[in-house]
Amino acid sequence: MNVIAFERTRIAGTWSDAELNTILGTLNDGREWDTGLTENGDAQLYLLGPGPDQACELCVSRIGGRYILEDGAGRLLFEHRSLPLVAMHARTALRITRWSLVARIVVVWCTIRDVIHDRIEPLLEESEELLVLLTPQLAAFV
Amino acid sequence: MKLDRDQVKSAEGQPGKAVPEARLRRKQAGDWLKQRRADAGLSQVDLAAKLGLKYYTFISQVENGFSRVPTEAMEAWATQLGLDPASFARHLLVYYEPELHRLLFGAKP
Repeated sequence: MNVIAFERTRIAGTWSDAELNTILGTLNDGREWDTGLTENGDAQLYLLGPGPDQACELCVSRIGGRYILEDGAGRLLFEHRSLPLVAMHARTALRITRWSLVARIVVVWCTIRDVIHDRIEPLLEESEELLVLLTPQLAAFV
Repeated sequence: MKLDRDQVKSAEGQPGKAVPEARLRRKQAGDWLKQRRADAGLSQVDLAAKLGLKYYTFISQVENGFSRVPTEAMEAWATQLGLDPASFARHLLVYYEPELHRLLFGAKP
């Protein structure tokens, strides 16, 4: 009889390689990360944003065999005993963060275009009209 | 802070990479917060409960220097540590926004 050796889920202490591989393998986006421990010795994994700030965007903690997913402001996003499930939620949360950044860039771009359209274009049109008016007179003068 | 040095490594196994200054300052802020919490005789779990958090993990996240105390939580955080909220916010600004602190309050904290 073959016995398959399953790795026992840790309930305290530092992350196991299998746990780290599960999270980072699911995210698979090459981002910076770091680990730490709480005062009670529970493991935490910090998924960091881009430099130079490198602020924590998401934090996965393990408390008594339960995995907790929070964002960098301490909002609880998800909690479950299954690490792969938590890792998938982390991946989704990071994608949402990225899309919100894209949305912000689009809003800024639209605002800039509006400003150009409302303020700069009338000025250009005014100078163009002036040029159209003055050109025949200048031509006659020459 | 109880960082496990064996596990402190950046993505793709690049140990020993230079830590950005902003991150170092957040760590200093975290150490200061940890000391103030100890002075108040509170554990991370106690403080989280007083702040109405379900888990205490965010307290650790901040004290380990990976996140900031959110502005909207500063008053409650200070009150639970027995500190004046204005002084608390001003002191955290030294770490979180040193240039802004310098402009508002002068060169030295």
